[in-house]
Amino acid sequence: MSVVGDLIVLLVNGLQTGAIYVLLAIGLSIILGTLKFVNFAHGALFVVGAYAGLLITQEISISNGKLAEWGYATIGLEWGFFAALLIVPMLVFVLGLAMERFVARPFYDRPDTDQILVTFGLAIVVQEVIHALIGPRTYGYDVPSTAFGLLPMTGPIGVPLSDVTINVWRLWVIVITAALVIAVYAIVEYTDFGLVVKAGTRDPEMVRLLGIKITRPYLVMFGIGAALAGIAGVVGGPLQNINPEIGMTILVPAFLTVVIGGVGSVRGAVLGGTLIGMVQVTLISLGSVGLGGFEVNFTPWAQVGIYVLAVIVLLTRPQGLLGSEEVSA
Amino acid sequence: MSAILETDGLVKEFGGLTATDDVNLSIEQGELLSLIGPNGAGKSTLINLITRMLEETEGDIRFEGESITDLEPHEVVQRGIGKSFQTASIFPDLSVEENANIASLGAEHGDFRFNFLVHRNSYPEVEQRTLETLEAVGLRDQRNTRAADLPYGDKRRLEIGIALASEPSLLLMDEPTAGMSPEETQATVELIEQLQEELDLTILLVEHDMEIVFSVSDRIAVLNRGSIIAEGTPDEVQGDPSVQEAYLGGVEL
Amino acid sequence: MSDEVKSAEATESGEVDRSPSLYDRWAAVREHEAAVAALTFLGVFLAPLVLVVLPEMLGVPTQYIWYRSLIVLALIWGIFAVGYDLLLGFTGLLSFGHAIFWGTAAYAAGIFSANVTGSPIAMILVGTTTAVLFAWVIGWISLRRGGIYFAILTLAFGQMIYYVFLSPLGWLTGGENGFTGVEVEPLLGFLPLGAEVAVVPDAIVQTWMYVFVGLAAVLAVVVGNRILNSPYGVVLRAIRENEQRAEFVGLNVWRYKLMAFVISGAFAGVAGSLYVIQRSFVPIENTLNWTVSGEIVIMTVLGGVGSLFGPLLGAGLYMYVANIVSGMPAIGDFWHMILGLVFVLVVVLLPEGLWGGLTWLRERAAEAFGGEDR
Repeated sequence: MSVVGDLIVLLVNGLQTGAIYVLLAIGLSIILGTLKFVNFAHGALFVVGAYAGLLITQEISISNGKLAEWGYATIGLEWGFFAALLIVPMLVFVLGLAMERFVARPFYDRPDTDQILVTFGLAIVVQEVIHALIGPRTYGYDVPSTAFGLLPMTGPIGVPLSDVTINVWRLWVIVITAALVIAVYAIVEYTDFGLVVKAGTRDPEMVRLLGIKITRPYLVMFGIGAALAGIAGVVGGPLQNINPEIGMTILVPAFLTVVIGGVGSVRGAVLGGTLIGMVQVTLISLGSVGLGGFEVNFTPWAQVGIYVLAVIVLLTRPQGLLGSEEVSA
Repeated sequence: MSAILETDGLVKEFGGLTATDDVNLSIEQGELLSLIGPNGAGKSTLINLITRMLEETEGDIRFEGESITDLEPHEVVQRGIGKSFQTASIFPDLSVEENANIASLGAEHGDFRFNFLVHRNSYPEVEQRTLETLEAVGLRDQRNTRAADLPYGDKRRLEIGIALASEPSLLLMDEPTAGMSPEETQATVELIEQLQEELDLTILLVEHDMEIVFSVSDRIAVLNRGSIIAEGTPDEVQGDPSVQEAYLGGVEL
Repeated sequence: MSDEVKSAEATESGEVDRSPSLYDRWAAVREHEAAVAALTFLGVFLAPLVLVVLPEMLGVPTQYIWYRSLIVLALIWGIFAVGYDLLLGFTGLLSFGHAIFWGTAAYAAGIFSANVTGSPIAMILVGTTTAVLFAWVIGWISLRRGGIYFAILTLAFGQMIYYVFLSPLGWLTGGENGFTGVEVEPLLGFLPLGAEVAVVPDAIVQTWMYVFVGLAAVLAVVVGNRILNSPYGVVLRAIRENEQRAEFVGLNVWRYKLMAFVISGAFAGVAGSLYVIQRSFVPIENTLNWTVSGEIVIMTVLGGVGSLFGPLLGAGLYMYVANIVSGMPAIGDFWHMILGLVFVLVVVLLPEGLWGGLTWLRERAAEAFGGEDR
């Protein structure tokens, strides 16, 4: 009986973990595929989203940071979680626009390594600013348990056919992510804007010659990708520890998702993220398993699993599971 | 005279597009064969297939009698096929001398050595070849100039020098006069003719400038939509109606 | 041999060859390499005098002055950085996983010392060999794809090995507590590294540890210089400048890239082994964590990619800021952020790093004062 319950829990946790990666990977993948820009600062957008969400939702007390020294022992707007959900995407969208204009654009013509270096540097600066001002302490979100008194937002709900519970917010994350993925896909496939972006991926020269200003769509695309990362930060926030390092630590799974799924492909990002999320959660959940008489402990390998997966995919299908084959000159 | 390079039923498909369609080309030792055709005819694809930058879909390529389809690009160069690129493909941040040095290293030392603890000056044969290469293209006096600082014409000459340093038996030249002034073009043509004579070089030339093509070529092959539609001496090709049709609206012959 | 070449050149070109004979050039080269070695030697062994003793004498507050073990640490990172620059600055390959080679060497050396022998030289050999093996495998896999995939793959491998050493191999490595069983024995059997060097005044050199690491640093620079003066020096730079062209002069670009990766891994291995010898402890966070990979990138770029001494400057600067500036009032807590900002500025404005900037200044000064035509 509880096997069904355990499986459902596994599925939900895996999908939810994957959802966060998907949100990050879509932005990263589009920026990489369309604008050919490597953004090692994508994680910075995530951590900013998480902290912005934190500070909009509630008040936090600062123990170790500069802000405390300067007299701001507690900061925060205390406008509640819904306000955060609304404001953070817009905030990070604007940040994304700024990033495209001031960081990415000057570097489009510079070699890949320079792009990586400058965005990496930026990510470090963002991390350290947060670290210095707010301090290294880990914070958590106060998410209301119900919305409008009706819909459960967070807290356990029972899984049918079993005696286990899951945090309903995980379900919300999956739902929100799915809605956003569909929205992005629709934009890319069915709007003129999306058409320009897709054409720009194939042949930017041609698009320019057709008299279409490519800078505007690129700017918006970057903003959307950034907003998705910010959303990942604010919806993922309640489910994890918030500290300055999470921007950098989420970067690797995000890039791995892009690489596994295939660059420039929204569906690839979804597939890759889901795969990584499921693998990660499965390995953790397996714990110690008896295999053919031997006790095999999977837990220590939980973190390693996704890297092994990435390496396997990269070696067997270098363009990613849903990526297109690159044609060399 | 024997054929130095032969392609045998060479086909290259990119998804739905057939860029190279059953090409049977044969280049004789010592001749200068020009490959012409309208834009998109597949000239670059053919060159890239020969240099192994692209994998063929079907067919064989034989150099000096041996199939080269299993080789990597650097191995093809070691066998004796050199390529001069469309743009001046040099090493911009290195000096002119270092540019020639690299080519000489590739020629003298083969494709790889473990010699990272041996000083460069222990290889007089490499120095010799470097100097000879610079002399051959008249850039000896600029040996210490940073390659990126050279005028465009000199960059092209350096580029040709690099291609020749390995003393190839067959040289592929991809639009060598693209973007050149009439004087530079003239100088390059003279250089090509001189090289062909002095070094007994076989040359496969891809060019758009028909004046050049008709003055230097021993034979011409015309490519259109991936297949060869005409082949022969300049006179033969000039009179061929299918060639004129292919070029309708394009460059005048 | 030199005479043959000289006369051959004279007859071939039909005029007197103005370029120096082979012997002259050889002499110049040897002088030059020896000069580099001598300069580095002086720099390393005068550093305590200049950085520690002199400021003390001049009355600089103690908390702003270098201390000897910090110089040792800077030298160790400097060795790491010189090798890393061969890969990044000269070959143009950006690896975010170099902590792997530093870290696995550290663990190998440490565990070796606990179970077999603590001879420092043996530890370095074991550590470096381990690093080279890892570099060979990881380079082989990561270099299959070019461009950014290389950076991502090395980052992924770095993380993977970190987690493997943290948990599944925790029984061997000590997990998150690090490996504490390191037992370093006296150098060559009779020179305890912590012991004072007799005869030589304290102002120059205090302990055998300093001598040991100092000599290793000089050796690293000498070897690095030789590599740059070898055919590899031109080949690697050619690959950085125009990979396709390098392939088309007949060079096996992939193998040369792999060699560059392995060589840089070897340098990291030596450095990692020295790190354990100095610390007598292998912490997992300062060895295999991705932050180490990030630090070496910052150090090398700040100091100056594409030069021999730039990375050393970068390592020194980083150590000073991280350990001394971090303790200063007002700006101390912002040290990491400041480094990040300077790093970004360097990438944007000063691609040749601080060493490049210094060289530029030196050349301007030489011009201004009527120096010879360079």
